[in-house]
Amino acid sequence: MLISIAWLRELVEVDADPQAIARALTSRGLTVDAVTESGEDTVLDLDVPANRPDALGHRGVAREVGAAFCARLTPPRTPPEASGPPADQEVEVTIEDPALCGRYTARIVRGVTVGPSPPGVVARLTACGLRSINNVVDASNLVLLELGQPVHFFDLDRLDGRAIRVRAARAGERLVTLDGIERELSRGMLVIADPSRPIALGGIMGGASSEINEATRNVLIEAAWFPPAAVRKTARALSIVTDASQRFERGCDPEAPAQAQDLAALRLAELSGGRPAPGQVESRPVRPASARLTVRLSRAAALLGYRPDPAEAMSALAAIELDPRADGDRIGVTVPSWRVDLEREADLVEEIGRALGYDRVPTALPPSAPRESVRPPAPVEDAARDRLASRGFHEAITYAMIGSGEDERFVAPEAPAPIPLANPISASLAVLRRSILPGLVRAAEQNVRRGASDVRLFEMGRVFLGRAAGELPDEPLRAAFVWCGSAGAHWSGPSRPADPYDAAGLVEDVLALAGPRASRARERAALGALHPGRSFLWRDGAGRAVAWCGSLHPSVASALAFAEPPLVGEIDLSLLGPELPGPVSAGPIPNLPAAARDLSLVLARATPAASVVAALARVASPAPATFAWIDRYDGPGLSPAEVAMTLRVILQPLERTLLDAEIEAFRQALIAALSTVEGVRLRRTEP
Amino acid sequence: MQDRLEVLERAFRDALREAADLPAAVEAVRVRFLGKKGELTALLKSVGALQAALRPAAGAAINAARDRLEAALAEASAGAARSAEAASLDASWIDVSLPPRLFPRGALHPVTTTRRDLEAIFRSMGFTVETGPEVEDDRHNFEALNLPADHPARDATDTFYLPGGLLLRTHTSPVQIRTMEAVAPPIRMICPGRAYRKDLDATHLPMFHQLEALVVDEGISLADLKGTCAAVWSRFFGASVAIRLRPGYFPFVEPGCEFDVSCRVCEGKGCRVCKGTGWIELGGAGMVHPAVFEAVGIDPERYTGFAFGLGIDRIAMMRHAISDLRLLVDNDVRFLEQFAC
Repeated sequence: MLISIAWLRELVEVDADPQAIARALTSRGLTVDAVTESGEDTVLDLDVPANRPDALGHRGVAREVGAAFCARLTPPRTPPEASGPPADQEVEVTIEDPALCGRYTARIVRGVTVGPSPPGVVARLTACGLRSINNVVDASNLVLLELGQPVHFFDLDRLDGRAIRVRAARAGERLVTLDGIERELSRGMLVIADPSRPIALGGIMGGASSEINEATRNVLIEAAWFPPAAVRKTARALSIVTDASQRFERGCDPEAPAQAQDLAALRLAELSGGRPAPGQVESRPVRPASARLTVRLSRAAALLGYRPDPAEAMSALAAIELDPRADGDRIGVTVPSWRVDLEREADLVEEIGRALGYDRVPTALPPSAPRESVRPPAPVEDAARDRLASRGFHEAITYAMIGSGEDERFVAPEAPAPIPLANPISASLAVLRRSILPGLVRAAEQNVRRGASDVRLFEMGRVFLGRAAGELPDEPLRAAFVWCGSAGAHWSGPSRPADPYDAAGLVEDVLALAGPRASRARERAALGALHPGRSFLWRDGAGRAVAWCGSLHPSVASALAFAEPPLVGEIDLSLLGPELPGPVSAGPIPNLPAAARDLSLVLARATPAASVVAALARVASPAPATFAWIDRYDGPGLSPAEVAMTLRVILQPLERTLLDAEIEAFRQALIAALSTVEGVRLRRTEP
Repeated sequence: MQDRLEVLERAFRDALREAADLPAAVEAVRVRFLGKKGELTALLKSVGALQAALRPAAGAAINAARDRLEAALAEASAGAARSAEAASLDASWIDVSLPPRLFPRGALHPVTTTRRDLEAIFRSMGFTVETGPEVEDDRHNFEALNLPADHPARDATDTFYLPGGLLLRTHTSPVQIRTMEAVAPPIRMICPGRAYRKDLDATHLPMFHQLEALVVDEGISLADLKGTCAAVWSRFFGASVAIRLRPGYFPFVEPGCEFDVSCRVCEGKGCRVCKGTGWIELGGAGMVHPAVFEAVGIDPERYTGFAFGLGIDRIAMMRHAISDLRLLVDNDVRFLEQFAC
């Protein structure tokens, strides 16, 4: 809301300079965002909160200024003398549905001459951000800006039947509004109609058929009180926002229409030479009683943190015309019709508090109240962040909304359908993600397009899996990463491109947060977005997929700007257990020498190395045995369908040193056990 | 004899000088003079051929010479060892001006580190950290927060709606409601998290990060709000900052206020960052509206409470001098790697 200082000074006797007025308004809760010059005038850009529609006009702001500076308000000017036949002989008004209109007033001004407004009016409108149209339309805007009460002018001679009806629209009715748009109305919308058809959208916008034009001679002034809900519903349904609709939606002063009529008649007479007809036609099915409230000073002290001086509290309430009456701890007030926001005691405490200034509030600290969190964040969440960052990954933040279908290949086929936004901001932010990866892969691609070669990004966040209609979706917490380029580059040698084993190592690093000993089965993943031969999946003890990673499927990667498919992975942190594992119990450190033996094996490519280890682990050993792959070779000397691998077996005796013969016997038993696994043979025996 | 010894010793010193600091050459000198067939050894053997009366003097003179030779040799071989070590160290020098082989270093997002630092301050003041769903129902996001349907303040929060009457939470306040539904006062909590509004321009993202605090107990007043804000911000900014409360409107608080901190760039004198006011707007706050307490079954006569909310993104931007909000979601590695940890 733009407020002209010159106009303000006409309404309240205040000498303070604009900056002082701005500071006073800001400290009273009407924040002045900017003070600017407009010609000879100074303009305040006022941020009016949603609960203060009374401050959407110069007079309401003048009231606040008056309260702040103890300055007197100027009384309204006398309307011009009326002449000619009275208004009620020209027009009748009917409110058909009181739920749509609480008060409707109409007056008539005859003999206007439409023309340009004088420069002073043009300047004032300009200062307040409005364009001058003509002297008649400008008169209505001057009323709006002064009182905050919208008024609408109809060309009286273009009204059919001289009868105004405020009623609900009927299905299929149409209306061309002032902006030239033909609107199809639906049943129940708030319309102003003549006996045959709608002529305006009540409280929102007039109709073209009765619009003021250069030939207009006689004007019907509408000043009404429409209930916020009725205006809101119609304005929303038609997607129209106007100065009038905004004010009615927030709540106008039900007593303002009569004052608005007086001012409108005065402005029309001044600017366009019109003469008002005697009387006002009015329908007012609802007359709201003025609200009475009580505020306890003890309650004010409890909320503000200090006990306001009773006399100060009284004068603060009196300054905003609340007519306070003291009664011991209590102060009774009558709420003026324009203060629609004052509904209960706490509202009055705020009035006292802001009048006395929040600077008076002392500082204190609340008493200690230790307790457990009701729903604490998963402890693994920040631990996983730290781990991924410590492995060289940069934390990204992508939107929880993605394009429709974008995550289709990143979720299991049995996943619930994505949850669509009813009102998305764009097609690329249309549904809630079921996987972090689509957005994160796009972020990595952006970096590659910008010329980055090694990109390591991770993100932690929720994904959204729909449940039954109306039920809140499941929001598992996930960590995801994307890895392009090398596994680490240094000037000392060639860099090695990161491969799926790097990605799997990263996944196991994060999974280890839930306990290094938690057993998780690793298998081949079958996710559409991953390379079917180069991807991993981990399942927990209950068989649930907790993580997956691998090379992005070439067909997904090539649709994006990747030269080589990046590595991607996603981990369901909500399945890692709500708590981090407890303290580890230290085990004994063996003090006997361990014995190591290497087996050089040749595996068929289709043979999983783990199946070999599994078979060998079943062989009875003279001491606890562990197995580790230490070398891999393919190339000359082997068939293309084969690969040579070296398996190191370590025997760690705990009770006594092993005899060479025992170790050799065990080695022979292992070699013998190889025959139980398909696709493996001994390459040569190590000494 | 004395003459022969002198000649020998002179020859020894010449030889040792020639051997320089080479360990092998020094050893050769030792063999030549002190070895089993060495020159001094031969001289010693020749003593037996002297007259008996001359023998003790000659023997003593030779032994004294032997001691001198051995001492000189020990010194030479230590020197040779030192220079051999120096040569070997010299040969294995590396260029320390070249970059080290770093372990890859990632980065936490500035929004994450800002949130964590705020969390740590609040935790140390006895606040619990609470979470809640990002997809909410109307009751928790609006109704219970004194924002009934058709409330004009709903317009200010451009809500993303979902099927089935659900929505993306427009603030983290629903977590306050869920916590007050779950436990009775006293409550002292914060709820950091993501919120969503249908808004995308230079100063708004459709997804952003908020942190709200709620304290409910007997006898809580605006003074506690002011004191808590002052304590949190002094610790967060690591300096004494001034706190200002201004009246402001939020439907879920009454009295409501905006809270500002003194500008850290100009220390309150007025600059471009604070638009000349000396103050930076941090967020909204106030005393919990009685209607909110009624919605969650807390007696507003017995209990009072304060709440405040702030944008983590904005604070991260202030703290790290980030000029453009969009950098926070652009995920440009050149931006993110500046926060490497």
